Amino acid sequence: MMNKIMTMVRKELIDAARDKRSVMAGLYYAIGTPLLMCGMFMLLIGQMSSPKDLNIKIENADNAPDLIKYLSSQGITHGDSRSTDDEGEPLDVKDIRLVISEDYAAQMAKGLRAEIILIADNSNEKLQNSIRRLERDLQTYSAEMGSLRLIARGIDPRVVQPIKLKIEDQATPDSKGGVILGVATMTMIYAVFISGMNLAIDTSAGERERNSLALLLSHPVSTRSIVLAKVFAVTVFAMLGLLLTLIISKISYAYVPWHELGFTVNISTDFILLMLLIGLPIAMMAASLQLFVSFMAKSFKEAQSYLTLVLIVPMMLSMAASYNIAPDTLQWLPVSGQQQALIAFIKGREIPMLQLVLSSVVTLVITLALTFRMERSLKSEKIVFGL
Amino acid sequence: MFHGKRDRSETRKAINSVKGKPLMTLIGTLVISSIILSLPAFASTDADNSENNTRVPAGQNEQTCYLDGLSEQVSCGFITVPENPAKPDGKQIEIHYAVLAAIKSDNHSQAFLAIAGGPGQSAIDNAAGFSRMFRKIRQSRDILLIDQRGTGRSNILNCAGDGFEDPLAINEADFDVATETQACLDELDADVTQYGSLNALDDFEAVRKHLGYKKLHVYGISYGTRMAQLYLRHYPEVLSTVTIDGVVPMQQSVLAIGNAISRAFDLLIKDCNTNKLCGAQFPNLKADLASVDAKLAIAPMVSQVRDPLTGEATQLTMTRAKFMGAIRMALYMPNVRALIPHAISEAAKDNFQPILGLYSLTIDSTGIAMGMHASVICGEDWQRLTAAERDAANQTYFGREMVTTFEQSCAIWNMPAVDADFSAPISSDIPTLVLSGELDPATPPSWGELAMEKLTNAKHFIAPYATHGVAHQSCANDLIAEFVDTGSVQELDGECLNKDVSRNFYLNASTVEAIPTPEHKQEPVQKPKQAIVQGASHD
Repeated sequence: MMNKIMTMVRKELIDAARDKRSVMAGLYYAIGTPLLMCGMFMLLIGQMSSPKDLNIKIENADNAPDLIKYLSSQGITHGDSRSTDDEGEPLDVKDIRLVISEDYAAQMAKGLRAEIILIADNSNEKLQNSIRRLERDLQTYSAEMGSLRLIARGIDPRVVQPIKLKIEDQATPDSKGGVILGVATMTMIYAVFISGMNLAIDTSAGERERNSLALLLSHPVSTRSIVLAKVFAVTVFAMLGLLLTLIISKISYAYVPWHELGFTVNISTDFILLMLLIGLPIAMMAASLQLFVSFMAKSFKEAQSYLTLVLIVPMMLSMAASYNIAPDTLQWLPVSGQQQALIAFIKGREIPMLQLVLSSVVTLVITLALTFRMERSLKSEKIVFGL
Repeated sequence: MFHGKRDRSETRKAINSVKGKPLMTLIGTLVISSIILSLPAFASTDADNSENNTRVPAGQNEQTCYLDGLSEQVSCGFITVPENPAKPDGKQIEIHYAVLAAIKSDNHSQAFLAIAGGPGQSAIDNAAGFSRMFRKIRQSRDILLIDQRGTGRSNILNCAGDGFEDPLAINEADFDVATETQACLDELDADVTQYGSLNALDDFEAVRKHLGYKKLHVYGISYGTRMAQLYLRHYPEVLSTVTIDGVVPMQQSVLAIGNAISRAFDLLIKDCNTNKLCGAQFPNLKADLASVDAKLAIAPMVSQVRDPLTGEATQLTMTRAKFMGAIRMALYMPNVRALIPHAISEAAKDNFQPILGLYSLTIDSTGIAMGMHASVICGEDWQRLTAAERDAANQTYFGREMVTTFEQSCAIWNMPAVDADFSAPISSDIPTLVLSGELDPATPPSWGELAMEKLTNAKHFIAPYATHGVAHQSCANDLIAEFVDTGSVQELDGECLNKDVSRNFYLNASTVEAIPTPEHKQEPVQKPKQAIVQGASHD
C-alpha cells in the first residue's frame, strides 16, 4: 500500500513539474510576498521618519533669534523652494510653516506667552513625524524657558511638575519586532494555501478535464491510495512554498532598516523549524480542502472560483489572529490557533501548548474527514465524470 | 530617522536625591562630574533613590530591570568582589552593572563602556542620558554601565549629614568639616581606603570578563576620563577605542580646578560683554560680580525669603559660598548659564531671588557619593599637590576653599597615597578621541592638551560652545559613534562642533530676545487679546 502511494505521489509530482508555468505560478507567491513585504516596510520606514536635517518654512524669524538658533541646533532650519544644499541640489523643504507672531519679543519680555503658529496638514503621513518632532522641540524649549523663569524668581522648577510619570514598558526587543512578524506570519501561513492550489486544481478538476481521472481509477489501486497520494503531493508543494517563503524572508528581512524603529526583526532558525512543524498539519488540511473543493466543482474554471471563495476563510482566521482582533475562541480553531502560538513564540511568551495541540488535532481531523469524503465521492460517477 | 540630536538640550540627568550635605556638595566637592545637575524642565524625570529601581533578588544576579528615565527593560546584574583585593576571603561587596542591549542584537563580543564622573556618580542612574547620547552606538553595540565601587548600587559610600536641616539658613563658615567628616567616616561600614580608582578598575575588568566581552570601547566623562586613562595604562589589550570627554589628565591633580573655575567666570563676563544685547543690558557685569563678592566676603546678608520648593517662610543667609557656588554650578549647563548675568546684576541690587533659584538647583542634586569622592581625591589628588600648586590654588576663592576643606577631611580619611608613577602621562597608540569644551568650568581645554602628551594615535577637539561634557552638548556624540564604527581618529572631522548652539543671555527674568523699546511697543489693542489667552488657560 505504502509503496503504491509513494509511486503515485511521484507520478503526481512529475505531472506537476512538467507544467513549469503552473509550478512557477504556484511558487511566485512564496517568492514574491516576502520581497513585497520588505519593500513595503522599507518604504514605510523611510517615509515615516523625519529627516536628520528638517527644512521647514519659518516666517518672521527675526522676531525670535534665540528660538531659531535653538531649532537649528536641533537640525530644524528654514528653507524655501529656491534653497539648495551644499552640493547644489534643491533642498527637501517640508510643507510645514512656523509663523512667529509680531509681538513675540514683547510678550516674552513681559513674562507672558508668546505665540507661534504651526501650520501643517496633520493627515499627511509623510509629515506626521516631522510635525511631532517640531512640537516636541518647541515644547522642550518652552519648558526650559519656563524653568529658567521660575529660577529667576527664586522658585524651584520642580514645583510645577507635580507628577512624575514613570513608564515601565513590558515589551522586550523581541516582542516589539513581533508586531511586525505577526503580520509576516500571516503571509507565511497563507503561502501554504496558495502554493499548492494550482496543483490541487490541476490534479483533480484538471485531471478530470483531461479525461485521465477515470483512467487512473480503473487501475488496480484503491481509491484511498489515489486520494492519499494526491493529498501528499499537494502537501509537498505547499510545504515547499512555505520553506521558500521562510528562506526568502530570512534573507530579505535582514535588509530592512528595522533598527530605525528601535528593534530588530530576526527570523531565527528556531522559528523556521517551528513554523515548518506547525505548518505541516495546516498544509495537509489545505491540500485536502483544495482537492475536495476541486473535485466537487464541475470544471477547472469552477474549481478556481470556488477555491478563491473558500480560501477567504483561512485568510480571515489568520488575519484575525495577527491583528489581535480575535475573540478567545479563535485560539482553539485551526490556522488561527497555530498562528497565535507562533506569535507567542516570536514575542518570547510561553507557547499556549493546549491550544496549539488542540487546534492542530482539529486541523488533522478536518483533513481526515475531507480525505474520507473525497474517497467516498470518487466512487460516485457524478464526481468522476463531472456530471 | 533622526538620531540623538533632538534630545540634546532636554534635561540630561535626573536629579538624584541622595542626601548629601549641601556644603560638602557645593564647596567640598570638585564636582568635575558632568551629567550632573540638570535643569528640571517639564519633560524631565527626577530620580528617586536608585536602590528600588533595580529589583535583584538574592540568589539570582542578572535579570531585567527598569532604570530611571528609560521605559524599556534592560538587564541588570552584579558580581561579587572582595572589598580588599589583598584579602580575598574578607568582606565582599557587590559591583552592579546594567547592559543596554544593542538594537541589532547579533554582535555581543564588543561593548561600549560609559564611565560616569564625580568622582562619586552612578553610571546606572545616568542610563537614560547615556542611552540618548549614544543612540547611534547602541544600534549595533551593547552599552555597558557599571556603578563604580562606592557609588550608586555598588556599596555606596554616602554621608547622610545631620545637623544640617536648613541649607538656606546655614552659614557655611560655621560648618565644622573635621567633625562632619569624622561622623561620616564612623557611619560608613566600609574600609574607605579600598575605594580608589585602581581597585575600581579591576572591578570593571572583572565585570567585562563576567559578561564575556572581548573588546571594549571606553567612554569616560570628567573623572571617568581618569578611569579610561587607567584602562589604557593597565588593560590596553582589551580596548578598541577610548574617548575621554572633559579630561582630567593623569599629570593633573583635580584640586587645581580653581583656575579653571576662574577662567570660566572670566569667559562668561567676556561673552556677555561682547554680546550686543547682554553687553547693553548689563554693562557693569564684572564690577557687579566683584562688588557682591566683596560685600559677601565681609559678612553674609540675612533676609527672609520663601523656600524655593515649599513656599514656606525661611531665613536665607546669603554667603559668599552660596553666591559663588550657585554661579559656579550654573556654569556647567549652557542653558542655565544664560541666566547668570541677570542673576549677578540683580544680586548687585540686593535682589538675591535669582541666585536663590540657582542655589536651590544645587541642593542635594549632584548625586555624588561623598565618601567615595573623598577616597579618590584624598588618595590620588590631595597628597601629590606640591607646595607651589597649593600656593597657586590659594590664589583663587574656589581653590582656597577646596584646599582648606580637603586639608581637614583628608587628614581624617587617611587614604594611603597612590604611587608616584600614577601621575605619569599615559603613553599609548590605541585610537583615542579627546574632547574639551571651551567654556568648561572644570576641565579646561589645556587639560585635554596635557593628556595628549604621549598619546600617539589621538585627536583633540575643542568645542567652542560646550561647557563640561561635550558629547551631550554638541554633535560630538555623532563623532564618537563614527569613531567607534571606524576605529580610527584619522578620518574624524570636528567641523560640526563649530555650529553655534549657544543660547542668548536672559535680559530680564523672562526673556532671551531683545526687549522692544517703548516706541516699538504694540498698541493697547493687545491687552484684551492677552486677557483671552490668559482666561483660556484657566479652564
